[in-house]
Amino acid sequence: MTEAGKRLLDPEVLARLAGLRLRVRATAEGVLSGLHRSPHHGQSVEFSEHKEYAPGDELRHVDWKAWGKFDKYYVKRFEQETNLRAWLVVDASGSMGYRGAEGRLTKLGYACTLAGTLAHLLVRQQDAAGLAVFAGQVTNALTPRAEPSQVNAILETLEALTPGGETRVESAVAFLAERARRRSAVMVFSDLLDRDERMIRMVADLRRRRHEVTIFHLLDPAEIDFPFDDPTLFLSMEDARSVEARGRDVRRGYLELLGKWLEGLRRTCGESDVEYVLVRTDQPLDEVLVPFLARRERSAA
Amino acid sequence: MSLSFLHPALLWGLAVAAIPLAIHLFYRRRPRAVPFPAIDFVMQARRETERRFKLRRVLLFAARTALLVAAALAIARPRLSAPEASAAPGPAGPAATAIVLDTSASMAYRLGGRSLLARAREDALEALRSLGPDEPATVVVCGGEGAPQADPPSFDRVELRRRIADADQTYLHSDLNSCVGAAARALGDPGVVGVARRRLLVATDLTASAWRLDAPAPVVSTPSGPERPEVTLLDAARGEKLPNRWVAGLVAEPEPAVGSHGYRISATVSGQEAEAGSDVPLSIRVGAGKDERTAVRSLLDLPASGSVKKSLAHDFATGGPAVVTASLPPDALPDDDALSLAIDVPREVKALVVNGAPSAVRHRDVAFFLEAALSGPASPVRPTVVDAEGFGKARLSDFDVVMLLDLRSPGAKGAELASFVEGGGGLFVAMGDDVDPDRYEAEMKGLLPAPLHVVKTAAARGTPGAAEKAARLAEVDWDHPILRIFTGPAREGLESVRTYRYMLLKPDRKEGGTRVIARYDDGAPALVEARRGRGRVILYASTLDPEWSDWTIRTSFLPAMQRIAAWLAGALEGRHDAPGVVGAPRQLVVPEGIRVAALLGPDGRERRDLATKEGVVVVTPDRPGLWQVRVRDLATSGEKIDPALAFAVWPDPRESDTRRLEPSELTAWFGGEAHARVAADGRAPENRQQPVWSWLLLLAVAAFLVEGLLLA
Repeated sequence: MTEAGKRLLDPEVLARLAGLRLRVRATAEGVLSGLHRSPHHGQSVEFSEHKEYAPGDELRHVDWKAWGKFDKYYVKRFEQETNLRAWLVVDASGSMGYRGAEGRLTKLGYACTLAGTLAHLLVRQQDAAGLAVFAGQVTNALTPRAEPSQVNAILETLEALTPGGETRVESAVAFLAERARRRSAVMVFSDLLDRDERMIRMVADLRRRRHEVTIFHLLDPAEIDFPFDDPTLFLSMEDARSVEARGRDVRRGYLELLGKWLEGLRRTCGESDVEYVLVRTDQPLDEVLVPFLARRERSAA
Repeated sequence: MSLSFLHPALLWGLAVAAIPLAIHLFYRRRPRAVPFPAIDFVMQARRETERRFKLRRVLLFAARTALLVAAALAIARPRLSAPEASAAPGPAGPAATAIVLDTSASMAYRLGGRSLLARAREDALEALRSLGPDEPATVVVCGGEGAPQADPPSFDRVELRRRIADADQTYLHSDLNSCVGAAARALGDPGVVGVARRRLLVATDLTASAWRLDAPAPVVSTPSGPERPEVTLLDAARGEKLPNRWVAGLVAEPEPAVGSHGYRISATVSGQEAEAGSDVPLSIRVGAGKDERTAVRSLLDLPASGSVKKSLAHDFATGGPAVVTASLPPDALPDDDALSLAIDVPREVKALVVNGAPSAVRHRDVAFFLEAALSGPASPVRPTVVDAEGFGKARLSDFDVVMLLDLRSPGAKGAELASFVEGGGGLFVAMGDDVDPDRYEAEMKGLLPAPLHVVKTAAARGTPGAAEKAARLAEVDWDHPILRIFTGPAREGLESVRTYRYMLLKPDRKEGGTRVIARYDDGAPALVEARRGRGRVILYASTLDPEWSDWTIRTSFLPAMQRIAAWLAGALEGRHDAPGVVGAPRQLVVPEGIRVAALLGPDGRERRDLATKEGVVVVTPDRPGLWQVRVRDLATSGEKIDPALAFAVWPDPRESDTRRLEPSELTAWFGGEAHARVAADGRAPENRQQPVWSWLLLLAVAAFLVEGLLLA
C-alpha cells in the first residue's frame, strides 16, 4: 500500500472526507490494494451438491445423468449459489454518537464506514450484503442482495443514520433470528454498551444458528484510556442519567471494570466461536479490515 | 497545661482556616459536563471508590485547614504553660528575667548543714534552668554597697550559670534596694525586645536590714512606659527564723586600778532570738596567731532580742601592740561571733623632768603638778625630777623624754640635748620667770621650734578683772595626736585655761617641721611642735605652775601632759584608730623608713597587690578579723610583721541582725500580690511555658506534605 493510501485510511483523514460514499470508496480501494489476493471469487460454476428438483428450479440445472441413474430429477447446485450472505448489523444507539476528540470519527461514523466498505467489497465479489440497523429496536433493514444497487441502498441507509436510542442488541438478534434463516455471515458493529448483561450470550446464539458471527466492538480511545482528570459531570448518551466524579479518582476503578468487561466479552466470544474484533476508532481501517478479510479468505479456502 | 499567646491579636489570622471551607462551599469548580457512553462503568467505579475518595477528600480538607490553622497559630506565638505558670501575674509570653543573688554576710547562715548562699545558688540555677529558650536573662550578684554590675539580659546561659556558680560568699552588707534597682534597669534595656513580661527573681534570706522599704520600689522602663516587674522572692531560709547571737561591740580602755598595763575590756553582746539566753559564755582572748590565749571567761544573761554589755578587766604583761578578741561559742552565723581589737598598750616612758625653779613649798614648786600628772597609776610615764645641777649630771640616753621647766638655759647640755633629739628623743620646754631667751637661742642653736622673744603679760594675776583679761587658747589643732582625745565637752578643759603671762616667740625662723598646736586668742603661739631629726620638740609658751597660767588645775592638764610625754617618746604615735567595718577603705599610715609590703588577712592569705592613693596604702578589707601588716625596712630590705600596724576589722552589724521581713511587707512594697510573691520553697514559678510555634510550623509542613501526597 502506498503512503497516500495509508494516509487515506487514517480515521482522522477519513473523517475529513465529506460523505460516507467517498469514505467507503477510499477505504475499499485502500483495502483492496492491501490484500495479496483479490477477495473476489468470481462467479463460481463448480458443482457443489444435488438437490431434488422442485418447481421453480431452473431446468437447465437438472442433472440428466442423475435422472438416468436414479430416475429422479436432481438439480445441480453450484458454488455460485452458495455465495456469502452477509448481514451488516449496525448499532445506531446514542452511545455510538460519541467521539472523544474533535476531528475523530464517531463510533457510528466509524461503524458505517466499516459496514459500507464491507458491503462494497461483498457486492463487488457478488456476495449478498444486507443491513440491519438497531437503536433500541431494528430501525432499518435491507435484505441481503448481490446487486450493485444494493451497495447504494446500504450506503444511503447508513448515511442517513443519526445516533439515538438505547443499545439493545437483543432486538437485532431477534430480528436476525427471524429474518436470516439461511446461514449467513453476521457482522455486528456496536459498542455493546447494552445494559442487558445477557447481550453477548444472545449474540452467541446466532452462532448456534450456524451463522458466522463477527463482532466489531467499537470503542473510542477516550473510553479505553479514560483521559479525564478534573471533576467531570458524565452524562449518559442514551438516557437521562449522569454522574459527577473527579476523573483521576475513578480512572483506576473504571479501567479495571472496563478491562474485566472486555476480557469477559473476549472470553465469551471465544467460547461461542464468535469472532471478536476490538476496534479503536483512532485505528486505521485497513488495520481492522485487512486482517479480517485475510482471515475470511483463509477460512474460505 | 494551658495555652497562651504572645500576640493574641494575630489570632484573627485563624480566619484563614475558613478559606478551604469557603472554597468548598462557594468557589467549588463547576464540573465540565461531558457526554460519555460508558457511564455505567464510571458510576460503578465511583460507587466502589467513593468511600475511599470521600475519606481522602476529608483528609485533604483537614490537611489544608490544619496547614492554615497551624501557620496562623504559629504566627500568634502560642505557648503551653504549666498550671502554676498560668496563675502567675502578668500577661502570658516570654519573660526577660533578672536573677538577683544575695551574697551578703548573713547568707553564710547555716541551716541544716548548708549555708543559705548554697541554697540560694541552687535556687538561682534552678530558676535559670526553668527559663524557656526564648527568654533572655541576666544575673546580678548582690554583695556590698552600691549598685552592682547588671548586664542587659542575654541568652548566654553558660555565662549566667558561671556567674551564679562563681558567686562567692562575701562578708559585706547587701543593699538589695540597689541590686533590684540595677536589675530593673537592666530589664529596661532598649535591647530587650520580643518579651511580654519582665521578671525579677531575688534569691535571698529576707533579712530586714538588706531592704529599705521607705524607698520607692523598682520599676522597669519599657517602651510603653514604666511598669512594675513581676517579683518572686526565693526564700533561701525556707520560711524559718534565723536566730543569731553576735558580739556587737568591743571597747578596751586603760584601767589603772588593774595594773600599769591594765585595761577594762567591755564587750556588747546582742541576740536575735525569741527566748532569752542565760549563762552565755563569753571569752576574752589576747594575742594573735599562735600566741593567742584566753585571758578571761565569763557568763552573761542575754535578753530576748536584746543586748547586754559585759566589762572585764585584764592587765597586760607588757606594753606595746596587743590584740583583744571577745568571742561567743560559734552558732549558725559564726562570722559575727567574735570581735577583735588592736590596741597599743602604752609602754613605759622614762621622763627626765628638770625643775629650773625648785621650791620648798610643794605647790609652788614648778615641777609639782607635772610630776603629779605623770606619776599617776595609769600613766605610762615614769618621771625623774632633777634640778638644774642634777640635769648637768644626768645621762640623757637613759631617758625617753627631757622636760625643761623654767630652766634658765640648758647651759652645757644644749649640744647634748640637740643630739639627743636628733637621735629620737623628745624635748619639752616650758617657760618661767627664770628663762633667758637669748641664752636659749645661743645654747640650743635652733633646737626650739621658734626663738624666744619676750614675756607678755595679758593680765596681772590677782588684780580685779584679771580672769577676764587673761589669754585663752583660741586656735587649737584638735586633730593633733596629743589633743585628739579631747572631744565634745572634754575640750572645755583646754578652752577654759586662762593664761596671764606667756612668752612671745619670734616668727623669723624659716626652718620647716614646725607645727603650732595651739594659739592664744591674740594669735601668739601657745604650744608649738617641731621635728628635729628623729625626735620632736614641743615648746609651751607659759609655765606649768599656777604663776602664769591655771592650766595645772584644769581637767585637761593630766591627760595632756601624759600624752605629750608619750608623744615625744614616740609611744603615742602607733595608737590604733577605731576598728573599721568590713568593706570600708582604710589608709595605712606607716612610719618613715619602712614600707608596706603585704597584708596578712584573717584567712592567713597574703595580699601583696596593694593600692596606693597619693602615696598612702589604701586597703579595703573584705573579711572581718585581725589584719596584720608585713613591712619592709627600706634600709635593710628585710620584711617583718609589724604588730603596731595590725588593725581589726569588724563584721557589718547590719548583717548580724537576722530579723526577717514578713513576706506580706515585701510583696506589698513591690506592688502587692499582683506583682510579687514569696516562694517559701525557694522555687521560682515554674515557667514551663514551652513555645509551641515551632511544632505548629512542623505540623504545617507535615500538613503540606500530606496534602501533596493526597494530591499525588
